[in-house]
Amino acid sequence: MRKSNPVQTVLSVAACKLTRNLLRLTKRGGTALPGKVARVFAPNILETVSEGMEIIVVTGTNGKTTTCRMLEHAFTSSGRECLSNKSGANLLSGVTAELTCNATWRGRPKTHYAVIECDEGALKQVVPLIHPKVIAVTNLFRDQLDRYGEVMHTADTIRVGIRKVPETVLCLNADDSLVSSLSFDVPNKVLYYGLNTPVGDQKDPAVSDAKYCIRCGTQYKYLYHTYAHLGGFYCPKCGYKRQEPATAVTKIRKMSASGSDVLMQIGGSSQEVSVGLPAVYNLYNAAAAICAFTAAGLPAEDIISSLRDVHSSFGRMENFKLDGTDIQMILVKNPAGCNQALAYLTSMEEDFNAVFCLNDRTADGHDISWIWDADYEQLMKDPHLKKIYVAGDRAQDMQLRLKYADAEEERITLCPSKEALLQAMRESALPVFVLPNYTSMLSLRAALQEAAGGKNFWEG
Amino acid sequence: MELNICHLYPEVLNLYGDRGNIRCMKKRLEWRGIKAHVDELKIGEHRDLTAYDLFFIGGGQDFEQEVLLGDLKSGKADEIRSAVEDGKTFLCICGGYQMMGHYYETYDGVKCEFLGAVDFYTVGGKTRMIDNYAFRLSEESGGSTVVGFENHSGKTYLGAGVTPLGTVLKGNGNNGEDGTEGVRYKNVFGSYSHGPIMPKNPQLCDFLLKNALERKYGRGNAELAPLPDKFETLAHDSVLKKIMQA
Ligand SMILES: [Zn+2]
Repeated sequence: MRKSNPVQTVLSVAACKLTRNLLRLTKRGGTALPGKVARVFAPNILETVSEGMEIIVVTGTNGKTTTCRMLEHAFTSSGRECLSNKSGANLLSGVTAELTCNATWRGRPKTHYAVIECDEGALKQVVPLIHPKVIAVTNLFRDQLDRYGEVMHTADTIRVGIRKVPETVLCLNADDSLVSSLSFDVPNKVLYYGLNTPVGDQKDPAVSDAKYCIRCGTQYKYLYHTYAHLGGFYCPKCGYKRQEPATAVTKIRKMSASGSDVLMQIGGSSQEVSVGLPAVYNLYNAAAAICAFTAAGLPAEDIISSLRDVHSSFGRMENFKLDGTDIQMILVKNPAGCNQALAYLTSMEEDFNAVFCLNDRTADGHDISWIWDADYEQLMKDPHLKKIYVAGDRAQDMQLRLKYADAEEERITLCPSKEALLQAMRESALPVFVLPNYTSMLSLRAALQEAAGGKNFWEG
Repeated sequence: MELNICHLYPEVLNLYGDRGNIRCMKKRLEWRGIKAHVDELKIGEHRDLTAYDLFFIGGGQDFEQEVLLGDLKSGKADEIRSAVEDGKTFLCICGGYQMMGHYYETYDGVKCEFLGAVDFYTVGGKTRMIDNYAFRLSEESGGSTVVGFENHSGKTYLGAGVTPLGTVLKGNGNNGEDGTEGVRYKNVFGSYSHGPIMPKNPQLCDFLLKNALERKYGRGNAELAPLPDKFETLAHDSVLKKIMQA
C-alpha cells in the first residue's frame, strides 16, 4: 500500500476526530466508526500515525485487557506517556481510531509508547501496519467458535500475523501448548513466560482445548497442571514440550481474594512480586506483562512496583454500588474464563446473590453452547449462594443450564428487562456477583453507571 | 429399569458443549427413577459394546478426528457397525454424525474413509453453514420441532436406504439444498445440531430414551412419566421465535 500524502493524512485525522466527537455528543460510545471513516480518507492511516512508536501488542483468548492494563499502568506510573486502546476496540477499525484520534493534525504520534490489545483474528491486519516491538500472546481457548472456527484455526490465524513482522519479539505462554507452538518455524526472537509450579488439585481437566500434540497427535502428558490445558506439558512421542521460561513464577507465597504474593525469576534474578488482582489467571497476566515490558527494553523494577496496585480492568472485574448494594461484575465469555470466575465465587466466605447474563450478538458469538461446558454445578452446591437471577437475550437458555446444574427452579428468577434486573439488585440485602458475557456486560454497565452516576466507559 | 450409556471418544469429540447432552439424558432418566449408567470410551480403550443400550458421539475438531480414525480401524469400527445393525440407539452429532457415513471428501478432493455404518456421505463445501436453525422431526422420530445451532462446511447427502431425521424449517440442515436435516436409520439418530441439542428439545430427548428402553424392555414396558418442562419449553420457544423471525 502506498504511503498517504499529507493532504490525505490531515483529512483522515480530522474525519476521525470529528466522527468520534459527534458520537460522544450523541452519547454513543462508538469505537469502530471513527476508524472506518479515517481509512476512507487514507487507507493506510494506521501506518502513518504509528510511525516511530514503540508498541506492545497483546493478543490471545483470555486476559488481553488485564495484561494491557498492567502494562499501561507500568508505563504511566514510571512517568512514561503511553497510548492504549480501551473498551474492547481491538479490531482494525478500533485500533485505527485510537491511534488516529490521538495523533497530531499532521498525523504524527503524540506519545512514544503504545499498548495495543488486538483481537486474534485482526492481528494479521493490524501488526503489518504498526510494526510492534513486542507481541505477547496470553493463551488460546475455545472462544466465539462461530466467528473464528476452532481453536487450531485461531492459532493458525495468529501465525499468519506473526509471519508478517519477523523483527518483532514474541512473548509466549510457555505453559500453553497452543501458544508455545507459535514459535515453530518463525525467524522472530522468542521469549517465554509461565508458572514453574503446580496450582490447584492436579486432576486432569474435564474438558481440554488442547489434548493432543499439535505436532504429531499423541496425547500430551503433564508434569503438573496450573489451570485448564495449561501446565508442564510434554509429548511422549515427538518430544515437543514446555520450554523453560525466562520470566517465571517459581513459588506462590500467598493467594487471596485481593491478590497474590509470589517469587519470580525475571531475567536471571529472583524477585518478590505482589499482584493486586486475585486468581491464577492474573498471575499469568502479570508474567505476560513483565515479559513484554522487559522485552521492550524497559526496566523490570518499573513494572514490578506497579503491579501491586493495578486496578481491575474494564468489566473484567469491576465494582459498583447501587443504593447500598455492593455489586461486583466479572466478564465471562468462554468456559475457561467462566470456570475461573465460578471458582472465585465458590471461594467466598459470605452469603451472596448471583446474576448470570447471556447475550448472543455478533460480538459475543451467536453460538452459546459453551455454557454447557462451564462448571456451574460446583457453585450451585455452594450454601453461600442464595438467590439466582438470569437475564439477557438468552436468559431462558441460561436458566435451563442452571436447572441441569441442580439449581432448584424456585431459586431462579428470570429478569425480562434491564430495569427488572436493576430493581432486583437494588433490593438485594446481600452482595451481588454479576457474570455477564461481552455485550450484556456493556449494556448492564451503562445501565449501572446511569443509575449510580459513574464515568462513561470510553473514559476508562 | 436402567440404561447403559456409552459416550464414545469424549476426550476428542467434545466440542461445543456435548457434555450437556449426556447430562440431560442422565437427569431425565434419574428424575423418573430410572438408573443411568454412563461410561466413557476413549481412544485405545476396549469394552464389550453389546453391554450398552445407547451410544452418544459428539462433534470434534478436524485435526483430532484423524487421531480417532486410526483407533476405529483397530476393531471398534466393526463393533459399532454391529451395534447399529443390532438396533442399538445412537445419537450422533455434527462430526460424530459425519463419521457414521461412508466418507468425507474435502473441498480439494481428499477422501477420508469413515465408518460406513449408515448410507450417506459428506463433501466439504466452500462456505460454513453457521447459525441457529430449526427443523421438524419426521413422524417416525416423534414429529416435534427441534431448535439447534449448526456449524459445518460439510454437505451431507443421504443414500437410498435411509430417511432424513427431519425437514428444515429455517437454516441449512444436511446440505442447504434439499431441505433435509440429519439421518434416521434403524435406531441411529444423526444431526448437525451440535452441542446441547437435548436440553432444549425434551421431546426429542425423551423419544430417544424411550426408543432405547423399548428395545431393552419391550414395547409397552417403557412408558416415560411426564416431567415439568417449564424451563425447557421456555428455552425452546424463545429460540424458535427468534429463528423464525430472523
Ligand atoms: Zn508430539
